[in-house]
Amino acid sequence: MSFLTKFFEINPKEYDKWQINWAPEDPWLISIALGLIIPCALWFFWTSLRRIGSKPKKVFLLFLRIMTFALLIIILLRPELEFKKSHLLKNYIAVLLDNSKSLSIKTFPKEISRIDLIKNTLEFNKEYLEQLNSKFIVDTYFVSDEIQKTSLNLKNYQSNRLFTDFSGVFEELGSNYENKSLQGVLFFSDGADLTEEPKEISEGILKSLAKINAPVYVFQAGNNDQFKDLALESVSVSDFGFVQQPVHLSVKVFSSGLGNRNVTLALKEGNRILVSKIIEIRSDKKYYKVDLQFTSSKMGKRIYTLNLPRYAEESILSNNQKEFEINVVRDRVRILHLNGRPSWDSRYLREVLANNPRVDLLSFFILRGLGDNVAAPTSELSLIPFPSNLLFDDYLSSFDLIIFQNFKYEPFIDKKYLLNIRKYVEKGGSFLMVGGELSFQGGNYSRTPIEDILPVNFKETDSWFINQEFRPKINEQLFNHPILRLEKDLQLNREVLASLPPLQGANLGLVAEKDAYVLAEFENGSAFAAPIIVSGEFGRGRTALLATDSVWNWRFRKEGGSRYFHQFWNNVIDWLIAEPETLRLQLESDKDRYLEEQQVLIKFKLLHKNYQPASGITGKLTVSSRREEIIAKELTTDEQGEQVFSFLPDQAGFFKARLEIDGLEEEVMFSVLRDNAEFEKPLVNDFILQKIAEISGGKYFLLNDVNDLSRLQFDNPEINNKSYNRSFSLWDNWWAYGFLVGLLFLDWWMRRKAGLS
Amino acid sequence: MRKHFSIIFVAHLLFVGVAPATAGYSDLTLPRIIYKGGNDNARPEGLKSLLSQIARRTSVEVKREPIALKFSDPKLFKYPFIYLGGDGSFDPFSDENINTLREYLSYGGFLFIDDNSAEPESGFDRSIRRMTTRLFPQTPLRNIPRDHSVFRSFYLLNTVSGRVIVKSYMEGITLKGRTVLMYSANDQAGAWSRNKLGDWNYDVIGGGYRQRQLSIRLGINIILYALTLDYKKDMVHLPIILERLRRYQSP
Repeated sequence: MSFLTKFFEINPKEYDKWQINWAPEDPWLISIALGLIIPCALWFFWTSLRRIGSKPKKVFLLFLRIMTFALLIIILLRPELEFKKSHLLKNYIAVLLDNSKSLSIKTFPKEISRIDLIKNTLEFNKEYLEQLNSKFIVDTYFVSDEIQKTSLNLKNYQSNRLFTDFSGVFEELGSNYENKSLQGVLFFSDGADLTEEPKEISEGILKSLAKINAPVYVFQAGNNDQFKDLALESVSVSDFGFVQQPVHLSVKVFSSGLGNRNVTLALKEGNRILVSKIIEIRSDKKYYKVDLQFTSSKMGKRIYTLNLPRYAEESILSNNQKEFEINVVRDRVRILHLNGRPSWDSRYLREVLANNPRVDLLSFFILRGLGDNVAAPTSELSLIPFPSNLLFDDYLSSFDLIIFQNFKYEPFIDKKYLLNIRKYVEKGGSFLMVGGELSFQGGNYSRTPIEDILPVNFKETDSWFINQEFRPKINEQLFNHPILRLEKDLQLNREVLASLPPLQGANLGLVAEKDAYVLAEFENGSAFAAPIIVSGEFGRGRTALLATDSVWNWRFRKEGGSRYFHQFWNNVIDWLIAEPETLRLQLESDKDRYLEEQQVLIKFKLLHKNYQPASGITGKLTVSSRREEIIAKELTTDEQGEQVFSFLPDQAGFFKARLEIDGLEEEVMFSVLRDNAEFEKPLVNDFILQKIAEISGGKYFLLNDVNDLSRLQFDNPEINNKSYNRSFSLWDNWWAYGFLVGLLFLDWWMRRKAGLS
Repeated sequence: MRKHFSIIFVAHLLFVGVAPATAGYSDLTLPRIIYKGGNDNARPEGLKSLLSQIARRTSVEVKREPIALKFSDPKLFKYPFIYLGGDGSFDPFSDENINTLREYLSYGGFLFIDDNSAEPESGFDRSIRRMTTRLFPQTPLRNIPRDHSVFRSFYLLNTVSGRVIVKSYMEGITLKGRTVLMYSANDQAGAWSRNKLGDWNYDVIGGGYRQRQLSIRLGINIILYALTLDYKKDMVHLPIILERLRRYQSP
């Protein structure tokens, strides 16, 4: 070694080992040379020496030739001399400390929490762990649904993680120690993996354990002796429901150590009990499945609470209540469509409504007028009486939209029911009147509640109708109105509206109210203009009118696109029933549910009455919990009429954000949930812990506060590792080739002297 | 009631009153189709008579004077109901006319074809079948079943009447659930037709007064089907109608 280091002029202290490495470029060529070419060449060479009489000379020449070939082979093998410095590697031990919330559950009879059992054990074995640390590299991790490296310092060891999933933990652990010598794992846990079923171990854990390839010594923290609890383990319910339709939910209740008793499971909205059910708890049964059903009559995000009674002897009380949120939406749009007379206009509108999968349509066609003589007995007619009492008294509120199309209310509807329609709209219903000679004044609606709710006033004129072909003039100011948006692109929308086929005939004598949106007008030169499409609001509801009965031409005429007829009516319906995208003020939170310590983002958009973005408008946003107002802030819209507000809730619960701006107000509800999932499956899962130990080749221990870990012995094989090296080529240098040339020259000189060529 | 929400009721007035004034622009018009090579106006007063009956018996407002159109007439797309009648073969329509008719029907139009010859396998019948084959090659004429809405759109019917009962059924073409074309071989317009004095223009063969009345009822039902479509199929009060149908048996 010292000779070599001197020869290559390197510091001998820097290296402790050397070796020769071979790196042949073409092993096949070398093999052929060694096996065939060189032996043949040597044989021919030997036979060529027959003329030399001296045997020692012949042998010496053969020796020289062998040496030459040997040197050539060495050069082809490209040898390198490597000096290196190596050191001894330590083996690894991993310590896994479960830090999920379930570790805070106390174990009876000592009433010591599971995490304290672990802490006490680690403290008790501090010396052993230090010794272990001197022999191995001991890595400590907090584990729950993730793995987080830490130290063995117990000060920051707390049971605060919200979820437990061991398969992910072992998967990541296996990845961390890939190509490392992991000799063992110490795993401290209660085994309460929320993803595992009782008495089962999942494929995921089995696969990830195989990846670790080291024995896992499992230390079970806590046990289920004398564990008393009543818990709402899980609630299975859809995120959304439909208004006036039953919502089904399935609840899994867990009970342990509470003996035989009957408990009441109650579902509440606010303080109102929606439904309740008695559960017969029995000492020999732990799990109970309860199915509940309720109906929501209001739309929007609704928050519900499930409650179980709380008993003083329970280990955990927080899992006796569970809140959840359902977004109650409109499943179908219920439309009452009254037609005073069959016509092409009513036929095409009915076709649109009947073919709309969102619409539940209830239509009435008045097929027989007062003076009509059907010339047949009633039994030969398919006509039935008009159920006005049922519709305009009992079921009126169940409709989302009422359409009077060329419909004269008398004598089908008692005048008193018109007042019901007024109240219905005032409370948030919607009403549409489509023109024709039986509409407006022609339907005797003057000075009735219908005139009140429509966005026009009736005036006396010589004629209520005009029979003239015309193209409605669209109000330039309201091109953005949702009813007129047949195409998203504004320019294209203008072109589409301009290309619609002309209409034929209009109702006259209508004067738009001050707050009405006159979307389109009939212009008779400079003589007069009459509103054709008008929308408005009455109370909390919306109303609209079409002062013509010829919109069907937009569907039937060859010119223009017939699909815009459908789009137009869908727009009218959406606007009337106040679909969210048609609201001038849109307020929303980025999520319906937040976890604790998550930032809440509230954003809103404000549009002017002409549906252009309203910039620079200031409004007041208030955020309230169930008990108090927690935030009140003034916000001003930006150029897009939008603004965003974010805050970090300092408590869990349900919140309501309310915005008042530009005379409008909107509310949005969201919840900040305290994650109690860890308490929904609170039992110690000894089965899974034992299985982990058994499958990995480790051992299972039950922690009892005085566990001595020093009995654990781990293999500690020696592992060398090269830290740095230096290599010198032994073939591509002057003396290797010089030696080869020297041998060949000597060979040539000897042969010349012996008289050979 | 909620269970059968997608439903139309038909109001049945039991009162007597005054018909409202009309503006006229939305009144029902029944154009007759003009074609070459045949008699497209074999029953000149048939449609007018039917319109008169519709006005008398139903709430539908009509223009009493029918008009005549060619398929090439741009006014065609102002009238979603057209009538095509005749008593003999006629020249095939041009491709352009066939395309126009196909468009007309697919946009929501309705065509009623009436064979006024009162003969089975007549020249008119052959011309019509040739036309419908070109019109919808993939959708041939099919018998209209008795539970079709046309048999209960105003009157309850269980037979297909006409001046002469050549076929006990009507044929039709249905596209996407809507029957766009109906074809009767029984000379319906012949049964409807009456002169200015109120006398019937043509004798009905076989069933007399009742047969003529049923033909008029069928004509009214066809018009009301075109105007109200299949509301009878989704009626909330379907049980009532079915019960009446069960009790009522047309001779």
